[in-house]
Amino acid sequence: MNCLICGTAFQPTPTWRLLFVYEKESSTCSRCYSKFTKSDATIEFNDFQGTVYEGAVDAITALYSYNEAMKSYLHQYKFLQDVALAQVFAKTLHEAFEGKEGSVVPIPMHPEKLVKRTFAQVDELLNSAGIPFQHMLAKTATSEQGKKTRKERLEASPLFEVTARIEARNYILFDDIYTTGATIHHAAKLLKDAGATRVDAITLIKG
Amino acid sequence: MKEQLQQFLTGRIWLREHTPFPCEAIDAHIESGHIHLKPGIQTDEDQAFFGQLKKYVCNRCHNTTQHLFHTFHCARCNKNCTYCRHCIRMGRVSSCSELLLWNKEHVSYANDHEFAWNGQLTPLQQKASEELLTSVEQNKSHLLQAVCGAGKTELLFPSIFQCLKQGKRVCVAAPRTDVILELFPRFQKVFPKTTIHALYGGAPDQEGFAELILATTHQLYRFEQAFDVVFVDEADAFPYYADETLQRAVKKAAKQDAAIHYVTATPTKTLQTTNQSILSRRYHGHDLPVPRFDSLWGYARQLNKGKVPIKLQQWIEEKTNTSTPFLVFLPTIEMLENFPGDLPRVHAEHPDRKELVMKLREKKIPGLLTTTILERGITIENVHVAVVGAEQKIFTSSALIQISGRVGRSFQYPTGDIVFFHHGISREMDKAQAAIEGWNRS
Ligand SMILES: [Zn+2]
Ligand SMILES: [Zn+2]
Ligand SMILES: [Zn+2]
Repeated sequence: MNCLICGTAFQPTPTWRLLFVYEKESSTCSRCYSKFTKSDATIEFNDFQGTVYEGAVDAITALYSYNEAMKSYLHQYKFLQDVALAQVFAKTLHEAFEGKEGSVVPIPMHPEKLVKRTFAQVDELLNSAGIPFQHMLAKTATSEQGKKTRKERLEASPLFEVTARIEARNYILFDDIYTTGATIHHAAKLLKDAGATRVDAITLIKG
Repeated sequence: MKEQLQQFLTGRIWLREHTPFPCEAIDAHIESGHIHLKPGIQTDEDQAFFGQLKKYVCNRCHNTTQHLFHTFHCARCNKNCTYCRHCIRMGRVSSCSELLLWNKEHVSYANDHEFAWNGQLTPLQQKASEELLTSVEQNKSHLLQAVCGAGKTELLFPSIFQCLKQGKRVCVAAPRTDVILELFPRFQKVFPKTTIHALYGGAPDQEGFAELILATTHQLYRFEQAFDVVFVDEADAFPYYADETLQRAVKKAAKQDAAIHYVTATPTKTLQTTNQSILSRRYHGHDLPVPRFDSLWGYARQLNKGKVPIKLQQWIEEKTNTSTPFLVFLPTIEMLENFPGDLPRVHAEHPDRKELVMKLREKKIPGLLTTTILERGITIENVHVAVVGAEQKIFTSSALIQISGRVGRSFQYPTGDIVFFHHGISREMDKAQAAIEGWNRS
């Protein structure tokens, strides 16, 4: 097996779990993988208290912190469009969603941007981890989040619209990176307003 | 617009999304037949024992290693789409990408080139240079075997000038960016009226039609039938000799009947040429420093425990105390990263490699720890060199010869210490030492 990141051949370590339960084989060598920093942090979002978004999200977890290795990973995955790299975090993602109750809702991309990039990076992460999901939101605004201040992002008109029937159940939002939190809060508020009982969020990275 | 398109695309095979031209202009020239299109990925259906087996070929880099292709559901072409991971850093080539080639009449070359070089060749250099020129004129492939520090670039000048004068398009390719960056200003000075482009990963856009192209061998993935003559410098350097797709890229970039010439210190068996010359003396006439072997038993274990083996420690201290700049070559990145102490260190992924080498030259730091990344292309006056774990596989005889070649390059300091610290002597170490001694005798 060749490491997806550095290309060198390596032996994936077999685990006894592999025999009994669904587990993804690692797709990267231990040297490359060790450069990522796992955080498993629960994100604090007190800064949304007192805004209309208070109570929209119940809990947010980020699996990795942002560092040099993650930066170059994102560059190759998103900018160079190396879809294969979706597999790098398959195992961790699978474990993160294991035992969680709720429908998984990925943060969507604008259709025009999707055609340009040729793949939805958030969906592909879930696909490679074997996590079933359903799109319930659609992106309405094309403008780039990254170019706005946090205040501008929060005050912007809704970024998404609901495209499916939301029931009184649990939902888990999934996004690749958590930066200001505006995206997750916008999406969560829509789900809550439409009747969701509980909305949690998982992101791959805490930016 | 047509002229610019023609200048840019002649000899190139270029990803449509990456052209610096407006979409309409490209469309118009496809329409008129000036631009020919090729699909990014070619799929060959192989009749295997159990039904059909798909085999992919990348039409840009000619990669055929199947695990370097990835198939996904593409939102652009709305079906399963395959892309090449091998050349992805130059912009992704997938089943639904289009590659552009200039189909019609090629640029006619301007003929006023000037040769502004008045350096002196030693009699040995002169002889090799003339032999190369003869081969170039007869369009026969030539291997120039020159020891490290022989002054081989100068030998190419007369041959290149001759080709340019005849209106030929010339390429000088080398596996490493550092080498191209070093060659570029030298060539600009020697051929002041020639349009020269230097191509490497991250190079700026350059205008006009280049009669002379200096390029990393990687960049040649983006050329097809472009050059009348190709010189491959440092043909023994990694990754060229180990990467078959790079060797194919050089052949693909050359025109069908063009001769490919090689310059190297240590020819590998795969380099087959009609003629050859050997230049076994340095330009300053002194012997090459011969590596000495010194045992460093169990160095890996000691370094693992965070201890620098005593002999190595003494070597480093001695160089530091006498203000002799030094390089310590280590076999792995792990060993480099975990080396005790705070000596600066560089490896391939290191962003400020150039700055650190500069600091060593200016004696702002006593020495550098490095992987084989610094084995060639760099000249540091009076540098002394130690190789730790010289018996390890990464240190091939050609790598060891290059590393030894860092020592004693200048007129002022033609000698210096080169030591192979080892845990047992390998055949490659013996081979490197014997080759160097052999050159000194001849
Ligand atoms: Zn790796
Ligand atoms: Zn390719
Ligand atoms: Zn496609």
